[in-house]
Amino acid sequence: MSIRIMIVDDSAFSRVILADSLQQEGYEVVGEADGLESLVDTYSQCKPDIVTMDIAMPGADGFECSKVLLAYDAMAKIIVISSMKDEETEAEFRRIGVVGYVQKPVESEVLKRVITGVMSPDRLYEQLDNWSIDMFQEALAQSVTRMTKTTTTFSEQTRSDREVSQGITVVIGIIGRYSGSMILDLSRETAEKMAAVILRRPAKNQEEVMAMAAEFANIVGGVACSMLNKKESAFGLRVSPPSVFCGEQTKIASPTIQLRGIYANNDFGRIYLGIGFKKGMVLWM
Amino acid sequence: MDVSIINPVLEAFTNILPQIGFQTVTRQGVSLADSTLLYQGVLINVGVLGPVQGTILIGMDIDSAKQFASKMMMGMEVTEFDSLAQSAISEMGNMVCANVCTNFVKSGINGMDISPPTLLIGNDGQVRLAVPKVIVVDFSVDTIKIKVYVGLYK
Repeated sequence: MSIRIMIVDDSAFSRVILADSLQQEGYEVVGEADGLESLVDTYSQCKPDIVTMDIAMPGADGFECSKVLLAYDAMAKIIVISSMKDEETEAEFRRIGVVGYVQKPVESEVLKRVITGVMSPDRLYEQLDNWSIDMFQEALAQSVTRMTKTTTTFSEQTRSDREVSQGITVVIGIIGRYSGSMILDLSRETAEKMAAVILRRPAKNQEEVMAMAAEFANIVGGVACSMLNKKESAFGLRVSPPSVFCGEQTKIASPTIQLRGIYANNDFGRIYLGIGFKKGMVLWM
Repeated sequence: MDVSIINPVLEAFTNILPQIGFQTVTRQGVSLADSTLLYQGVLINVGVLGPVQGTILIGMDIDSAKQFASKMMMGMEVTEFDSLAQSAISEMGNMVCANVCTNFVKSGINGMDISPPTLLIGNDGQVRLAVPKVIVVDFSVDTIKIKVYVGLYK
């Protein structure tokens, strides 16, 4: 089945040229929009695999149209096609969640390469996705042993985009070639027992328990990302400061990523560790 | 309160929300809080890394989150805060925080990036950010109340 493409461009001439070139390469042009007004309706009717997006359009520009489309469907795959191509314009599109960027005038070979890239599996991402849970598991086991002199066993891996907290949740953002999140979740009792061993005295209050959980998660995340960067320097992963959440029956959802999860069991109790990365940007030409 | 940190965040809300279907974005107050905060409903957590780093949290109660998601999805009825509504809210968090980075670039601070959003949904929750003080901004967005917690440092 051919790849279905929708074109967003205010210029009728540009749409004809692009549609022609796409059809010659064997793609099916299933819809066209000349701006924001018809954007979402056309998209919801034709359900394309890929949307090509011009930047300079009267009224709402390509940034705004991309945001509206991604607000409507977070999974929309947008390739920007524009004569503008500077570092900051590209960076902003990347952060919004656009997956490809091609400079005008469009060479059909280049566009084909980007479309193929967007539609095919990303090998580097797959490696990261496959290695990540093992590395984070290893980092967790090492950190527990170093900080508490106890050992950890692991149960089977899970895949999910939502969990229910056991009591305390630490969220750490990861940034690099692919961005992601690490979630470490444990009960208050488990955290209190760990804090007592690490501090060599019972924690004075909940604040200290939360601080211990944050520091522990930060170490696990940092160690794991270093291990992954050593395996493949192109990942360039770094961790953001931890946020600690505390509450009964709190739901944790990561709508843009699928978390690979594992339960660690040790003397203190059970710790859930979830890790996931966003496929995000694929190809820029 | 460091104005050079808070302004790019305020600007991002007034820039982005009108682009995704909201008519009015009114700032109702700015205050300083300690690193441990209480929350009700939904919190969107986005990690920020670069010369300015930390966390941005966007909070609202469940009914507000449903109204917010409904507006983002062109008025589609949202009766439950389900995975579709969660996805919409998290996309809003991503867009606003991406624009925060862009605004920092405009003020000469380059190399900023953000993590994917994580949602925490619960009641009587407590959150602790890794900064000594958090700037809390109250917004009214088409009468929907949202709270933004800025835990960023240079």
